[in-house]
Amino acid sequence: MAINMPGAGPDAAEVRPDKAEAQEPGKTGPGGKRLSPTKLYMRRFARNKAALGGLVLFALLVFFSVFGRYLTHWDYMEADFTALSVSPGVDGHLLGTNGAGNDVYAQLVHGLGRSLIIAVTVSLLTTAIAGLFGTTAAYFGGKVERAMLGLVHFLLILPSFLIIALVGTHYRGEWQVLVVVLTLFGWMLTARVIWSLATSLREREYVMAARFMGVSAMRTIVRHLVPNIGSLLIVTFTLGVASTVQAETALSFIGFGVKQPDVSLGSMLADGQNTLTTAPWLFYLPAAMVVLLTVAMALIGDGLRDALDPTSQSGGRA
Amino acid sequence: MLRYIARKLVGWFLMIAIATNLTYFLANAFLKPASNYTALRPPRTPAQINHSLALYNLNPDKPILDRWWHWMSQIVTHFDWGQSPTGGSVNDQVAYRIFVSGQLVLGSTVLSIVIGVGLGVYTASRQYKAADRVWQGLSVLSFNTPSAVASLAVVLAAIALNQALGSTLLPVAGAQSPEVVGFWAVFGSRATHAILPTISLTFISYAAYHLLQRSLLLDHINSDYVRTARAKGLTRKQAIYRHGLRTSIIPVATQVAFAMPALFTGAVITETVFAWHGMGEYFTKTISTNDVHGVVAVAAFGALMTAIGAILADLVIVALDPRIRVS
Repeated sequence: MAINMPGAGPDAAEVRPDKAEAQEPGKTGPGGKRLSPTKLYMRRFARNKAALGGLVLFALLVFFSVFGRYLTHWDYMEADFTALSVSPGVDGHLLGTNGAGNDVYAQLVHGLGRSLIIAVTVSLLTTAIAGLFGTTAAYFGGKVERAMLGLVHFLLILPSFLIIALVGTHYRGEWQVLVVVLTLFGWMLTARVIWSLATSLREREYVMAARFMGVSAMRTIVRHLVPNIGSLLIVTFTLGVASTVQAETALSFIGFGVKQPDVSLGSMLADGQNTLTTAPWLFYLPAAMVVLLTVAMALIGDGLRDALDPTSQSGGRA
Repeated sequence: MLRYIARKLVGWFLMIAIATNLTYFLANAFLKPASNYTALRPPRTPAQINHSLALYNLNPDKPILDRWWHWMSQIVTHFDWGQSPTGGSVNDQVAYRIFVSGQLVLGSTVLSIVIGVGLGVYTASRQYKAADRVWQGLSVLSFNTPSAVASLAVVLAAIALNQALGSTLLPVAGAQSPEVVGFWAVFGSRATHAILPTISLTFISYAAYHLLQRSLLLDHINSDYVRTARAKGLTRKQAIYRHGLRTSIIPVATQVAFAMPALFTGAVITETVFAWHGMGEYFTKTISTNDVHGVVAVAAFGALMTAIGAILADLVIVALDPRIRVS
């Protein structure tokens, strides 16, 4: 994480627009107009071709998961017993069917949507919890900080994957339960990183000023500390989506995540595992989807990191 | 030095104990060993089921703390980790499986560190050249490939290769052929069976070391002391290896410990795909058969692997970082 720069957050750039502009010598907006931080970040993001590609890919995947079902009249749960394990294109099944006669295209659309929903929700929740937890620990310091960090370290040594599998299988693979357990065991490492960055923020003048002016602790944390690690939170969120997709895929693959009749990319991969040679399309398609999704999120995350980091060199001569 | 190691060992031992005990209570809360008996014909009454479970210290009518005390004292006095709900000894299972998994996990850890750090140095000294970009693209791809996809892709490739050659050069299932006898034959068979799972585990785990090592080395490669070393007459390669790499490899070493749990998760998938009867397969088997004691043993194994990784990482740091003195 190269974003330990206080003042990298959106708020900081807003109060010091000259600094933000100074990042772009000779390349400011037309006629030397003031460049808003958002525009600056967008321009720096767009300069990174890989990140832009990732964003387009991600948009396409979301579009596909939302509107893809209008291309077929098959439902993902419906089984076509006249066409078991047919290859793509046969009998009006766009991408073939699996051994139970489910339309692979319909399942793919639904599974992608399911994986996306789980990943985005979990990542949003873990980032929010980690951000608040890390900054709160850093703000209070002393005993509170030690107790909170102790909790984080304790949770880190627990066999989280095993516990998630235990709980997930107990509730028969309902995806809402999966969201809860993945969130509960997913925020600790981020919280620790955020804490270590926020300790330097604690000593800054505006936080001190707020403290001595009698601003309540919660308000200081939400108004002053969290916005200043905003860029880190955004990057964490993006990369969190990629890692949650991986975790969910792993869980569903070994049968402890999303279960029948619900479908996710991981459970589709598990389906394809047994028919690797006879019906390879059952493996290719979900595998391609899941890799595209995680790679797209990783590229976006890297691009955002470079765009939001004022000292980054990798975005070109900014 | 010995006192330092001893202190670390005690700390890790406590952590393993906490993780194991907590898993015991969680497993008891979420798993229902009685379900192994409900499908039996003729059907059994709940009293009969509980009677059978009581033999294995799994009777749900007995208070959990009593069961825990019995389980704990068995481990402390006899190192007996209990029985599965149908009576198999957990110790027997783990004793066999631990070597299968350890071979896979440790082998691919060593391989991925060597490959990752090597690539990190290679690409960092060629920043923004074609080789750097190609390797980095590949690493971003492999870093974000779920282990299920990686394992199955390796299987597909191996099947295609075997079909093209017309013989089974690389076996895709099992840890060894059942019919081989003799030390060297078994050794050879195990080695060929280990190739594919090791490849797929290494593929998903090397990239983290590569990307980290590259960015860390880039931070150091232009620093004063590397330039001084060059000025004193070392070649660029010598300066990078003796001065740049030595400082920048330290955070990579700490990464190893934290990567262990992820690698173990990867091993669960890999063992499922390649039909290895290791701890990863035991993990899925024990959860789906409501085997409380087996699940706890898996958790203890995972914690032990993490501890070994962390202690090795600490030793490497002590050896590399002249600022750290332990005495």
